[in-house]
Amino acid sequence: MTKFTEIAEKAIFSNRPIVILLFALATLFLGYQSSQLKLDAGFEKNIPLNHEYMKTYMKHRENFGGANSILVSVCDKSGNILNQNFFDTLKDVHDQLFFINGVNRSLVVSLFSPSTRFTEIVEGGFAGGPVIPADFDSSRPEALQLVAANIEKAKIVGRQVSNDYSCAMVTAQLLDIDPETGEALDTLSLAAELEEKLRGQYENDKISIHIIGFAKMIGDVADGAKDVVMFFAIAIAITAVMVYFFSRSLMLTLLPLICSVIAVIWQMGLLTVLGFGLDPMSILVPFLVFAIGVSHGVQMINAVEKRASRGMDAKSASMSAFRTLLVPGGIALLSDTVGFMTLLVIDIGIIRELAITASVGVAVIILTNLLLLPVLMSYLKLNKSDVEDFSEKESDTSTFWKITAGCANKSSALVIVGITIVLFVLGLIQSQQMKIGDLHAGAPALHESSRYNQDVFSITDKYEVTVDYISVLVETSAEACTSHAVMKAIDDFQWKMENVPGVQSTVSLASVAKVVNAGYNEGNVKWQVLPRNQQTLVQAMSRVPTSSGLLNNDCSVMPVILFMEDHKAESIERVVDAVKSYRDEYETDDLKFKLASGPVGVMAATNEAVSAAQDPMMLYVFGAVILLCLLSFRSLRATLSVVIPLYVVSILAQALMTYLQIGLTVSTLPVIALGVGIGVDYGIYILSTMNAKLKEGASVEVAYLAALKERGSAVLFTGITLAIGVSTWVFSSLKFQMDMGILLTFMFVVNMLGAIIVLPAIARLLWWRR
Amino acid sequence: MNSMRRLACLLVLFSSFPLSAQEASFIAPLAKSSVLLDAKVGDYLVVVGERGHVLLSEDGEVFEQVQVPTQSTLTAVSMIGDNIWAAGHDAVILYSGDRGATWTVQNYEPELERPFLDLHFFDVNEGIAIGAYGLFYRTVDGGLTWQPERHAELLDPMDQEYLNEIRQESEEFYLQELDSILPHLNRVSESGDALFMAGETGLLASSSDRGKSWQRLSANYAGSFFDIKAVDQQGTLLAVGLRGNAFVSESGETWTKVQTCTTATLNSLYHHEDNTWIAVGNNGVITRLQLPLQQALDAPASQCDSLSEVTTTQTADKSAIVNLVSVRDQVFAVSAQGIQLLDLK
Repeated sequence: MTKFTEIAEKAIFSNRPIVILLFALATLFLGYQSSQLKLDAGFEKNIPLNHEYMKTYMKHRENFGGANSILVSVCDKSGNILNQNFFDTLKDVHDQLFFINGVNRSLVVSLFSPSTRFTEIVEGGFAGGPVIPADFDSSRPEALQLVAANIEKAKIVGRQVSNDYSCAMVTAQLLDIDPETGEALDTLSLAAELEEKLRGQYENDKISIHIIGFAKMIGDVADGAKDVVMFFAIAIAITAVMVYFFSRSLMLTLLPLICSVIAVIWQMGLLTVLGFGLDPMSILVPFLVFAIGVSHGVQMINAVEKRASRGMDAKSASMSAFRTLLVPGGIALLSDTVGFMTLLVIDIGIIRELAITASVGVAVIILTNLLLLPVLMSYLKLNKSDVEDFSEKESDTSTFWKITAGCANKSSALVIVGITIVLFVLGLIQSQQMKIGDLHAGAPALHESSRYNQDVFSITDKYEVTVDYISVLVETSAEACTSHAVMKAIDDFQWKMENVPGVQSTVSLASVAKVVNAGYNEGNVKWQVLPRNQQTLVQAMSRVPTSSGLLNNDCSVMPVILFMEDHKAESIERVVDAVKSYRDEYETDDLKFKLASGPVGVMAATNEAVSAAQDPMMLYVFGAVILLCLLSFRSLRATLSVVIPLYVVSILAQALMTYLQIGLTVSTLPVIALGVGIGVDYGIYILSTMNAKLKEGASVEVAYLAALKERGSAVLFTGITLAIGVSTWVFSSLKFQMDMGILLTFMFVVNMLGAIIVLPAIARLLWWRR
Repeated sequence: MNSMRRLACLLVLFSSFPLSAQEASFIAPLAKSSVLLDAKVGDYLVVVGERGHVLLSEDGEVFEQVQVPTQSTLTAVSMIGDNIWAAGHDAVILYSGDRGATWTVQNYEPELERPFLDLHFFDVNEGIAIGAYGLFYRTVDGGLTWQPERHAELLDPMDQEYLNEIRQESEEFYLQELDSILPHLNRVSESGDALFMAGETGLLASSSDRGKSWQRLSANYAGSFFDIKAVDQQGTLLAVGLRGNAFVSESGETWTKVQTCTTATLNSLYHHEDNTWIAVGNNGVITRLQLPLQQALDAPASQCDSLSEVTTTQTADKSAIVNLVSVRDQVFAVSAQGIQLLDLK
């Protein structure tokens, strides 16, 4: 190891101009690349495509659309839609949505679509027609009255018209492939188009427009994510001030910041080179990379200062710092990288992207902050007053460190470990209660007060429809809907599901066919049954078009749609479990009840994937950290001293999630891995000095005090700096960013405290005799 | 070998014996708000509906679903003392002799593909069940055995004439034709010694011998009737049916159309108090009729605002109301969305 560092040191510091030139060229190239980086979002990235449910979902997506739909509620602020202006606007909105690129035109539904029809029972049969007749003239009050009557006959109140007649709905399904370009649909530009062409054009003092659906949600997230630039600026400013207080030198402040920014530029450039975009959900990663960069940069300037105050010149101080920090810094960054890479085991596109984005970024820091930074610092001219400042600072802190080093004496070590065990047990109990999935109504990525979530609440409030539904797909043979046995099985299954708590209402071809059958019998409810006579059954089925989404062309697939009261993980789990237990009674070789489609079907799969991923992820992260520590320290005791506090903190973080009602989701799952990856840095820096001293035969207390004097202020400082940086996310317009901010702040601070207080106490116990 | 095969055949026959081929009803928390179709009240209340749902209540507050040996939709219920009969789709007839605690199947013929639509017991022994395509069963032993009857006299005179012609040619063809030409029999109601029936294609009829023979009453309307009741001591008849149609007759011979101020199908008539009758129907329609009707006779719809004898309202959920029943001064609607307490004040 030492040989490698010596060779590296020689090769790098004897060719400083070349090194700088290479870095400059790479930065120019990747800087250009990063300017090409696009925000990029896709529905499928967010779902576990290989999960059993999602395979069913993908298989039937073409026939039944998927979960990727758009709902536009057009409301009249007067509270009554029966006026000319409203109907004209509704028609415009319908037409506009129809022509937006990426919308599946055959599945745009509103009062104005020809498929919206009414039927009524008259002597001798049915009468019916489109709800809005072909000769509809919105300026005639009689025409509006006729439409109002037709709406009632069509029984679409609560679905296409709000319960209070103040709004009407236009719904559309989105394509996955852009029909114009043949490439994947650009969800963000579609979202922007919805905002501009629908809301921008038609919302005014008489009309309000409410748009919900995944595409709109992610568009709003992307808009909110743009604030990240501001948070980035705030973070840089705070960090700069902090680093200046720490280093008391302008140059020593600028250099680590510049190197960290270079790391971010490289990371973003590499993403473009690798063919990735930046997903709004992982927009925080560049920030993390910057923060980690600064934390290692501070270790570096700290080391240089210490050496300068002992009288070294800038160049030899930098070389020496490089030599001593390359291994611990490299190990720390490598464990970050490996920690992030473990996220690749989770089979959800967006988490994999995050894993790649983050591990690339952290790997880059090894180059920029462990290599470029000391090279740049070696050019510094350190004048006398700077050096005096450094030594002054050191004497300021030494009393503080002496007190802190008390953590490593026997009695306080026992107390600290005792308290840690108590916290751990309490945390463990609380963390068992951690919920999976989204705990609140609306889109979890956004705040409750966001326009999007307000729109969700307005729509769920005014209509009977809910966006929270799960479809069970009944797979059987062709023409199965003409079999009384099959339809009765579906009907019975549906009824049992409707009785499961959490299910609000249900619909399927069977339930609709029963109503149609009553219709064929003069609307007599006593005939609301599935006819045993096959011709009669066929007659009832024939009135349900495939556009209803309740059957495919040959009715070999029929979804049973379960509308849910909410999408809390426990409700979803209860319903999914009920499906699994009830379907056994009805399934035959030729009749299968497959989970699942619809937004809640996607959530069910995601929840299952996320909760299944949690344990392996922790196992891999800690496995990687333990392995790297063992390799670098060659000591089991040292490894345990680093890893135990980390583990306690990650359990406490889970307890905090429970306490703050933050569910384990696609966006919060990686936080623990990120926190462990970054948190381990502190321990490694402290313990690398301690370990060396212990190997020389020093007592634990002496070794620890030496480590504190050497690295302590840098550790304390980085912990606080990182925490302040991420804590500003609490003010983010994105809920998930806020959640991540809280959790990361917690993990940074507590990991730092763990490294300074708990680590030496555990080391004390493990090296009891010293 | 041969006897073995015979035994096997017998077993197969036995296992497909219709009465035992049914599944018991599923006890569901939501049964109270499922599609319910009929209710009867004595010193307790019984409600029946889809999927073999039977609900019992002592007080109209707590409803308890009981398990019955069918999942067929029950369309009608009849009660005499502790005896309850319920009938419905698949020509099912259920019986309970212990206030609904235990049930047995008296009749089940899914292969008929015809539902019973109403049921009436004259006493604990004699009762009739009527239904689709002239389905008409009678029992004289409390339902232990049921005998089908055909009532060609319920057909209109033209059809009767046609049937008589073909009967002279072939008795078999006559019976076959009669089976398919008979109208749906929707409801039967008893008033004193008289029995009345409402059915498809304008069918109104009366009988004075417990339905053994029927006399047609003609209201000159071709649509379906769903209920007919004698509404006063003088025997005035009121019939309601499709698309808000209602007719009134003093003797049963001449009928006058009543303006009900609704186009919703009216399913049944309910005697509310004194001279007030209520017709309930689809779309949650509740039409209150103040007898004797005068202004409302043959009145055009444009006069609805000023008709004091007729007030039509709609329930909030607009679900079809099939029957009304009163328990302890409370009136319940038996509707497509379950049993609902009505405020008729």
